[in-house]
Amino acid sequence: MNDTATGTISPAVREYHADCMARIAGSKCRESFSELFDFYAPRLKSYMLRLGASDIEAEDLAQDVMVTVWRKAEQYDRKLASVSTWIFRVARNRRIDRLRRVTRPELDAEEPMLRPPEIEKPEDTINRVQIEQTVREELAKLPPDQLQLLQAAFYDGLSHSEIAEAYDLPLGTVKSRIRRAFDRLRGVLDNEDISDA
Amino acid sequence: MPTSPASAFGELYSAYAAGRLDPAFALLLETQSMLRPQVRQAMAVGETVSGLMLERDQPAAMSANAGVRALAMIDEMEAAGGALDAALRLPEEPELSDLPEPLREPALRAYGGKGWQNLASGIRRLGLDVGSALEVELYRIQPGARVPRHTHGGQEFTLVVSGGFSDETGSYGPGDMAINGPEDTHQPVGDADGICYALAVRDSGLRFTGVMGLVQRLLGK
Repeated sequence: MNDTATGTISPAVREYHADCMARIAGSKCRESFSELFDFYAPRLKSYMLRLGASDIEAEDLAQDVMVTVWRKAEQYDRKLASVSTWIFRVARNRRIDRLRRVTRPELDAEEPMLRPPEIEKPEDTINRVQIEQTVREELAKLPPDQLQLLQAAFYDGLSHSEIAEAYDLPLGTVKSRIRRAFDRLRGVLDNEDISDA
Repeated sequence: MPTSPASAFGELYSAYAAGRLDPAFALLLETQSMLRPQVRQAMAVGETVSGLMLERDQPAAMSANAGVRALAMIDEMEAAGGALDAALRLPEEPELSDLPEPLREPALRAYGGKGWQNLASGIRRLGLDVGSALEVELYRIQPGARVPRHTHGGQEFTLVVSGGFSDETGSYGPGDMAINGPEDTHQPVGDADGICYALAVRDSGLRFTGVMGLVQRLLGK
């Protein structure tokens, strides 16, 4: 099921997850929901635990996110993002939302970035399918030290200074490793790589 | 204005992807992403990375019947009518409805709430509530109108959303972001060719800490 080399899911499973989303949106398919729940809820819980939630809170948040996934399923567009990208955004926004409610209960904003932009100017449309493809391919090739820092920044949400402290690295090293990794994933050629060739 | 490659702001994108960015700066970045494909691409890459990390994460042990309980919650919700998303009733306003997606809703909400504040001839301002302690305002600048000098304790980030303005440092068009420190006495003038909408975020002297401080390097051009 998972690609053991990178730990990410295979294209077939990715397609299957997208199909599950379509069935949830189209026919409120509970079996499809359970499939996605079985895969994502434990990972969402793991994510919340990393962010410092207690076991109970983490599970509660994971449930909350999956229920939100059910509610907002018709906003998912498989042409724009993989299910994992979309579910991650739901999780991130739900966390922000819940934190905000604690401080500002009157704000019940919709999460605008969950909806695809209504009008994307054709000349400005970025190729999201290409992005998913490139990021997956390049992520698989990243050296472990870059991957580790990338995860710390993009997933655990640590700042560069926090990462430097946590991994006992010079700040400059953290910055440049993450920059190189990010550039690679964006498909931007590293000038240093070119000059070294 | 120097060109700043988006990669220089990797920390901004990771902070955004991970939900660490203050809502005011998140709004600036999201709005700019609607105007600058490079920014949008970087944001999409960032979120894809986060999504992949989720896939790769070690599954945590769930309590027994977690899945069953989730289904029960869904059934309950569906039985209640499923319409828990009370449709946000937003006022109508043609110019504001044309604003990019992330900005449109808080702008319309503010319009329906406190409404426009008239600053000077040809200048109006709408205070936006995005759940931030920072001040977030949408300016509407008519052609030739000059924004009055405004003192503020800290830094101010102004993103041109539509139209344009000019000041002593140069001309700014859609997607450009001007950054002004507390000592700056800039008085932007709206460009002649149309109404200028600009989104401004101010720290009013509060010290930026952590990732928010990074936005100081974000230059639009």
